[in-house]
Amino acid sequence: MHQNMVEVRDLSKTFKRSNGEMLDAVKNVSFDIRQGEIFSLLGPNGAGKTTTISMISGLLTPTHGDATIGGHSITRQPLEAKKLLGVVPQEIALYPTLSARQNLEFFGKMYGLSGAALSKRADEVLEFIDLKDRQHDKIESFSGGMKRRVNIGVGLLHQPRLIYMDEPTVGIDPQSRRRILDTVKQMQTEMGMTVLYTSHLMEEVQEISDRVGIIDHGELIAVGTVGDLIQKVGEEDRLILKVGSQVVSELLLTRFRHEVEGVTGATHEQAHSNGSDGSATQPDGLIIVIARRGRRALPDLIRVANDSGLDIVSVEVREPDLEAVFLHLTGRELRD
Amino acid sequence: MRAILDIAWNELRILFSDKGIWLNLVILPILISVAVGFANGGGASSSTEGPRLVVDVIDADNSTLSQQFLADVRAANARVLLCPIDNDEADACGMGETALLPEVAQNRLEDEASLALIEIPAGFGESVLSGQQATVLYRSNEDITAPQYILQAVQVAAQRAGGAQAAVSVANEVASDLSILEFSDEADHATFEQGVREEAQALWASDPITVEYVLASVEPQAEGTGNAGFQQSIPGIGSMYVLFTVLPLAAMMIRERKQWTLQRLVTMPLSRGQILGGKLLARFVMGMIQYGVMFGFGLALGIRYGNDPFALILLMVVFTLCVTSLALAVTTLLKTEPQADGITLFMSLTLAPLGGAWWPLDIVPEWMRVIGHISPIAWVMDGFHSLIFFNGNLGTIIVPILVLLAMGAAFFAFGVARFRFE
Repeated sequence: MHQNMVEVRDLSKTFKRSNGEMLDAVKNVSFDIRQGEIFSLLGPNGAGKTTTISMISGLLTPTHGDATIGGHSITRQPLEAKKLLGVVPQEIALYPTLSARQNLEFFGKMYGLSGAALSKRADEVLEFIDLKDRQHDKIESFSGGMKRRVNIGVGLLHQPRLIYMDEPTVGIDPQSRRRILDTVKQMQTEMGMTVLYTSHLMEEVQEISDRVGIIDHGELIAVGTVGDLIQKVGEEDRLILKVGSQVVSELLLTRFRHEVEGVTGATHEQAHSNGSDGSATQPDGLIIVIARRGRRALPDLIRVANDSGLDIVSVEVREPDLEAVFLHLTGRELRD
Repeated sequence: MRAILDIAWNELRILFSDKGIWLNLVILPILISVAVGFANGGGASSSTEGPRLVVDVIDADNSTLSQQFLADVRAANARVLLCPIDNDEADACGMGETALLPEVAQNRLEDEASLALIEIPAGFGESVLSGQQATVLYRSNEDITAPQYILQAVQVAAQRAGGAQAAVSVANEVASDLSILEFSDEADHATFEQGVREEAQALWASDPITVEYVLASVEPQAEGTGNAGFQQSIPGIGSMYVLFTVLPLAAMMIRERKQWTLQRLVTMPLSRGQILGGKLLARFVMGMIQYGVMFGFGLALGIRYGNDPFALILLMVVFTLCVTSLALAVTTLLKTEPQADGITLFMSLTLAPLGGAWWPLDIVPEWMRVIGHISPIAWVMDGFHSLIFFNGNLGTIIVPILVLLAMGAAFFAFGVARFRFE
């Protein structure tokens, strides 16, 4: 029995663009996923998460490197590796004119199930995703959340040891999202599955993951538990001061850094937001201050700002999180 | 193999879950084949027992030669009914007891009671015997755009009469120049000439050189093979609808890629060959079902398709394989469903008439016939014509089969090399 369910070594993928240029979508990515853990790949859209997972799941052939699932190489023993893998793609990869049960039974056959075993397994999955009473309805008549649940159900049919879920909460209501996150935890705790989860939503990754890999511009820039990663940015808070369209001088930012205790950094960002009438856009300036014990530093920050003739419109204090880790590692916000 | 069958079965289930499929698979192709069948002469029987060609005859000469002339007209086309000479108890000539005077004959022609009038003037036989110019008057209301069967028969008879007299003249000249024959009197000479004439006529009758011809639109050939119009339209429209049924593989593949079901299959423990095989098998089966619908409808109408059902089915299989491969090749060149729908329609509506699905290529200019053979339909229609109109067999359709297989192999190789699952 392998200690690691997945081992990824120097995985790279280069695409040729239509203009002939080469694009390195994934560059020498290496990581391991242990048996029974929930491992999340976190990164902004276009960072290379889906390309990495597409190579692991056999959809794309790596330009370089290899990965194993349960000890089976995805390049040399792809069918053996795929038998251990269940896939829940971001898209609703179902036949809309077939019923939930017909979809499950068809994909079950593709996983090698048949006869009574297939029927029993379809029943169990329908029970698990709580759609037994709608099993004979066509997928096209389902709500977004129900489709997502069937989409997950297909990936569970053959009781895989590893299940890969690509942004499974995209485009659904909070209630359905909650249900899916609970399902992911259930798969780990009740079924003993290893889960490979990708998302660009920091909050849900932080909630469910045992370990997280942060990927950006095709490179894996950090791997560890949520606690480990937060340690990388220390115990510093982020204070976000909204200043609207007022001019922020470099002198003020320097005063923040030097005159306020605990402040280690201060930057000014200019954003735009809709005007009150909803039609025009207004400059929306932000001062982002990095500070140890941020709440204590807040009165002094406001005082210095007032001394400089700047009115603070609003203040938000953010405790260290994966968003901060990403910002710390890349200099950009995760949602950029 | 099990996975291929499961994928194909799932495809068919999805296709047949759409109620609208019956419109495209059954109703429209049958309606179009009926319309095209009639346009191609449907309703005209191919047997010699079909409608008679009523031709009035005024034989003012009434000589042995004029009667021989009329016999030759009959022999040239078995459907010609010479009136009133050949009128029967059922009054096929439609003239009752009326004597066929010139005015009556003219009225019958104008009223289209007869298709043509042959007038043999008095002295016709004598003129022929004396080697002088003899004239037969032919009047007709045949459509000049249609094949003129009666005129052809009259011309054949005239050529025979003229040819026989030419033989007599040649014999006389040879006998005279070589002095090899001496005639005791005029009666003896006349007997000689009559002998030569009869010999010439006998040679004509034995047809030392014959040309067999078939006009597929209206003129049939093999015994009791049914209706020529539908024998053209059933395989023609059937083949066109095989294109309509199979080429949408392109749109379906693009849709599957878009909804990610294709990629999901790739992530399962299946080879790419199994996935592609299942998808192609489903379209191939749809093509064969389409042929089954069309040829089944033809059988219900009493249409016969020649004497070699094995060769007929093999031809359908090979054509459908070729079109399935073509669909795969086309799939690799398209990116969106609207593109695929447009190209499928364009290809079907171009390749079908070009290849002779709507009308026989026999009626188009030679250069069009050559260009038409770019289309796989031209080759399958060549095969169908050989089997259906000429009672051909596997041996006579080997060229179309080999060409379709070669085309199919080329399309398949191109498609497989370029196809992308992701």
